[in-house]
Amino acid sequence: MAAFDYAPAIAVLPLASFVIALVAGRYMPKGGAFAGILATGGSLVLSAWMAFAVAGGDTYNESLYTFVDAGEELSLHLGVLIDPLSAMMLVIVSLVAFLVHVFSLGYMNDEGETGLPRYYAGLGLFSASMLGFVLADNLFMAFMFFEMVGLCSWLLIGFWFRDAAPPSAAKKAFLVTRFGDYFFLVGVVAVFATFGTAAFAGAESFPTIAEEALAGGSEGAGGAAVTTFFGLDPGAWFAVIALLILGGVIGKSAQFPLHTWLPDAMEGPTPVSALIHAATMVAAGVYLVARIYGFYALLPTVLAVVAFVGGFTALFAATMALVKNEIKQVLAYSTISQYGYMMLALGAGGYVAATFHLMTHAFFKALLFLGAGAVIIAMHHGEDMWEMGGLRKKMPVTYWTFLAGSLALAGIFPFAGFWSKDEVLYEALVHGLNDPLLLGAYAMGLAAVFVTGFYTFRMVVLTFHGKPRSDVARDPHGVGWNVKFPLVVLGALAVVAGFLNMAPVAELTGLHVDYLHQWFVGPLEATSLETYEGLIEERAGYEAAELSPLLPAAVSLALALAGAGLAVVLYRGAEPTEHTDRLGSAKRVLASNYYQDEYQVWLAEGLTARVARAADTFDQGIIDGVVNGTGSVSLLSGSRVRRIQTGVVSNYAALLTLGLVALLVVLGVTGGWF
Amino acid sequence: MVPIQYYLLLSASVFCIGLFGVLTRNNALLFLMSVELMLTGANINLVAFSAQTGTLTGQVFSLFVIALAAAEVAIGVGIVLALVRNFEGVDVTRATTMRW
Amino acid sequence: MLIELLIGLCLLGALVVFTLPDRYVPTAALTASLFPLVTSFVMLAGFDASGNAFLGGELAYETTVRWIELAGLTINWHVGLDGISMPLLVLTTVLTTLAILTAWTPIDARRSQFYGLVLFLEAGLLGVFAVLDFFAWLVFWEAVLVPMYLLIGIWGGPRRKYAAIKFFVYTNVATLVLFVGFFALVFGLGDSISSLDMPAIAQALRNDQLGSLGGVAPGTIKLAAFVALFAGFAVKVPLVPFHTWLPDAHVEAPTPVSIVLAGVLLKMGTYAFLRFNFTMLADVARQYAQLIALLAVVSVVYGALLALAQQDLKRIVAYSSISSMGYVLLGLVAYTVYGVGGATFQMISHGLLSGLLFACVGVIYNTTHTRMVGDMSGLADRMPITTGAFVAGAFGYMGLPFMSGFAAEFFVFRGAFGSPTIGSPLLTAVAMFGIVIVAGYLLYAMQRTLFGEFRLDTDYEVGRARLHDAVPLLVLLAFTIAIGSAPDLAFGMIREAVGPLVEGVS
Repeated sequence: MAAFDYAPAIAVLPLASFVIALVAGRYMPKGGAFAGILATGGSLVLSAWMAFAVAGGDTYNESLYTFVDAGEELSLHLGVLIDPLSAMMLVIVSLVAFLVHVFSLGYMNDEGETGLPRYYAGLGLFSASMLGFVLADNLFMAFMFFEMVGLCSWLLIGFWFRDAAPPSAAKKAFLVTRFGDYFFLVGVVAVFATFGTAAFAGAESFPTIAEEALAGGSEGAGGAAVTTFFGLDPGAWFAVIALLILGGVIGKSAQFPLHTWLPDAMEGPTPVSALIHAATMVAAGVYLVARIYGFYALLPTVLAVVAFVGGFTALFAATMALVKNEIKQVLAYSTISQYGYMMLALGAGGYVAATFHLMTHAFFKALLFLGAGAVIIAMHHGEDMWEMGGLRKKMPVTYWTFLAGSLALAGIFPFAGFWSKDEVLYEALVHGLNDPLLLGAYAMGLAAVFVTGFYTFRMVVLTFHGKPRSDVARDPHGVGWNVKFPLVVLGALAVVAGFLNMAPVAELTGLHVDYLHQWFVGPLEATSLETYEGLIEERAGYEAAELSPLLPAAVSLALALAGAGLAVVLYRGAEPTEHTDRLGSAKRVLASNYYQDEYQVWLAEGLTARVARAADTFDQGIIDGVVNGTGSVSLLSGSRVRRIQTGVVSNYAALLTLGLVALLVVLGVTGGWF
Repeated sequence: MVPIQYYLLLSASVFCIGLFGVLTRNNALLFLMSVELMLTGANINLVAFSAQTGTLTGQVFSLFVIALAAAEVAIGVGIVLALVRNFEGVDVTRATTMRW
Repeated sequence: MLIELLIGLCLLGALVVFTLPDRYVPTAALTASLFPLVTSFVMLAGFDASGNAFLGGELAYETTVRWIELAGLTINWHVGLDGISMPLLVLTTVLTTLAILTAWTPIDARRSQFYGLVLFLEAGLLGVFAVLDFFAWLVFWEAVLVPMYLLIGIWGGPRRKYAAIKFFVYTNVATLVLFVGFFALVFGLGDSISSLDMPAIAQALRNDQLGSLGGVAPGTIKLAAFVALFAGFAVKVPLVPFHTWLPDAHVEAPTPVSIVLAGVLLKMGTYAFLRFNFTMLADVARQYAQLIALLAVVSVVYGALLALAQQDLKRIVAYSSISSMGYVLLGLVAYTVYGVGGATFQMISHGLLSGLLFACVGVIYNTTHTRMVGDMSGLADRMPITTGAFVAGAFGYMGLPFMSGFAAEFFVFRGAFGSPTIGSPLLTAVAMFGIVIVAGYLLYAMQRTLFGEFRLDTDYEVGRARLHDAVPLLVLLAFTIAIGSAPDLAFGMIREAVGPLVEGVS
């Protein structure tokens, strides 16, 4: 198929823009921005072409480059896997990347910013890494690009390196995700050691081999050859591997307890935040689980962990968003929370729900961040919502698009977020009715809906409604077409993207409007939705309860409306006051993010650094002490022993004589003279 | 013929007198003389055995030793002169500046 | 004859440079180092060896000349290359040339002697990697120490004498120990060998021809020899707890010397590990694989922790070398293609990356006259190229994909994880935690020195790097990315040579 021959170009084009911006950016207008726009635009076109090809029933799964040629078994390859999932993700990523590039024209260039080539180079590399990650056909390649994504986040979060906070935030982001990646790396190596391959799909892929091994019973009889360690049976060992890989997911997708880097990452330029939250870094984790869902679906324990972590994170992060005062902080915590929903869906067996939410979230969160970016431009880089207010009339385009995004985020009918979040919760509920753990996760997810509605509309009302609360808000800075265009595009998507997959409507009316479900019933059997559903039922033992989708949808919509309504009522007035103060000491806990940062900083600085210093003292004192001690002992004994050399000839003669006498005596005794 | 033990006794006595001188005196000149005595003791020994066994080796060696003793005196006196110049006297215990 | 030409060119260059007046020396030394560089690349292009040099493989550029006859033992001039030594040879010539370039700025006294010694050092290093006869090998092994001692002792920092003597005495004692170990083997082999040819000895040992010596059983001799050789090489690597000479030497050594020291000199130790302990005495190594792997893990984690506690940029890089060398040992003891091959690859990769980092630190030091993390910040503003190279090098060191460090570490991990000799993957998993700590200290150091508001506690003008300072950084970076993106450039030949070593290990 001709279309797929161009698949690598999707990632190579932004890479080329990275090189161009890096080398020649400073000689180009706008620091090489147009190279990036062209490249990501090209990627978008190509991705759409791939999507059409996939829609036509084609898939692609080829190794294209031999990274290391070490014989049949051991070689490492880079390749391309295009199936419904990656095609969808490619479109999302390249679209968001493209829009972020365009938005950056307005956000970055209009301020006489220095270092623009570096910025656009970073964006290009970021897009290229993420697209490479999405294209990956095996876990090894995925890991490589996963790490590249980490590098890019470091580069871009720390873009304003002259200030103190961004480099620190960048370091934290990289370190925390690196901590997760450590487990991922162990997982990758373990996959190689266990299965001998890391391919995602095909007969020789590790999910397939794992399934065969489990199907053949714990002895592996009839199944494929797998090597397990620690004397674990395949099922348990696979669970260990899956949890290890999950470590990387939790790091990158900012799930509890490795979510702490994400709010700090707000130090980066706002378009970068949009990119990180909507399409690249954070999405990478969830995408990875979806990518190897055939493996996770085999392991009920791991699924339960995924679901529970997801549900917990959804609620946990949402509560922290309640009391934030910076607009971007609210959005950051909402991202963590929303990715929690996706994890919940994945863990609950709702593959389509998770990817659906991934998609809608990409649109509305990119929209919200770019909208926040527009607000921040208007506010001359002020981010405190209490300084804003009344912006509705000054910037109508931003207001209406931002409102659309907020409605989607809050999950209000009929915006995109409603459909996807509803499906996530529905999946969790129907599977959870037979599984208390899942039900608990569902409950937390449901509670988070109310909280989400509240903090979203607290944000909207504080920012756009009421009276301007500062001079800047009274006379905001205008924004240009390059800001408005992405907002409008994403705003439209935030409204309509939900109609792609109206599963409840499909179920109630029998109409085939659950297009995404049909999309995933793919031509590539290993990654097809049917396969996953089969696995979820057979291997994970999930049973879906019979339940009409109407009631759960109504409940979650009611909760969302209640939360939103409460926020509107509380903050509506011209001069709103901070009602969360009534939470008392609970607010302090929330504002301090449950002291999560504190203990992690303590782990890094209090514990590790202290251990390191102790090791250094030990090293310099004891080990080097022994080395130097050996030297000192030699020197000291030398300085003592040399004292017998008095320089007085008579003493030497006496010693000589003594020696002679001693020699004679010894010889005499041993020779038997006496 | 005088038995060899007498020569050996004489040789040992002369050697020990020389040794005693070396160990007890601080005067460099006495030192030289004591060393001469020790060498002489060795010479007596060599010559005595030479006569005993009827070979000439011992006598040849004693000639060597005499030559060596002469050379030694030449150098020794030079050292004594150097001592006098540098340490204002012939006391060997004072010349300890090169010990460490 | 190319190997002789290579070594000869270095010695000739050293000789010429020694006699030239200081003014012309930097350019002359650079030119002189280009000859071996080009020669080594010609050799790389025409490289046609297969198999392992010590296990009867086809050698490239082999020469054997009878040299000295001793009682029953012949000493030959025997040189040749296989897939393990070839890349190390190229690494040596590349790093020496770049080190000479980095010396242009900092070295301003007694130049002809400095550059002459560097070239002499290069000859010694090349000899160590190319020579296959123990006598000549030991000559080169020791010949390396002398110029290194002088280079640290004369051109080094304030405590240069302490560092130089510590380095010299420590490594020299180590040589004595390994010498004893090796000759125990030679005498134990007795009549089954007729020369000090190392491949012959290796094969004799692997064929169990070791006899008893003075009533000691062959197994015990082997073990004792293994321990002696291991201890001897462990100092050079260096392995915890024999590592304390390294930070001192690095801190005191001038930048170019640090580059060669970390880049090539440490590889002598691991190379010797590979050739002696893990080839000649492979059965002992396999028997005690877990213990050795444990040592490796301790080196990795402990070295990384120490790096975390340092405030001097050079000390940070120095300690991180200890950590990286731990990976090499872990790979070696795994006895898999990826393990041993990855270890060799890591030697190359670490040579390039540590060279890069030391060169960056050197440029920073030349400009600011301080290396302490707390003395400066915000250098990125004034030194964009150096900062870029430092960032790239640091991320390469942390194992960023498409740079050599990632490939090397991944190979080692993959090789060690399911290794038949190490047994449990737990050790490997612990060692892998090094990638988190390394990220910690390098990111911390970069954040403190390169970013934030510009501030410098010493009073010097900070400007952009000069061309001859920037070139080594960019060249090293290019090499790192090249072999990181296409590891087969080096790994192809390494795999050839490693194959026979790991065959049939279970």
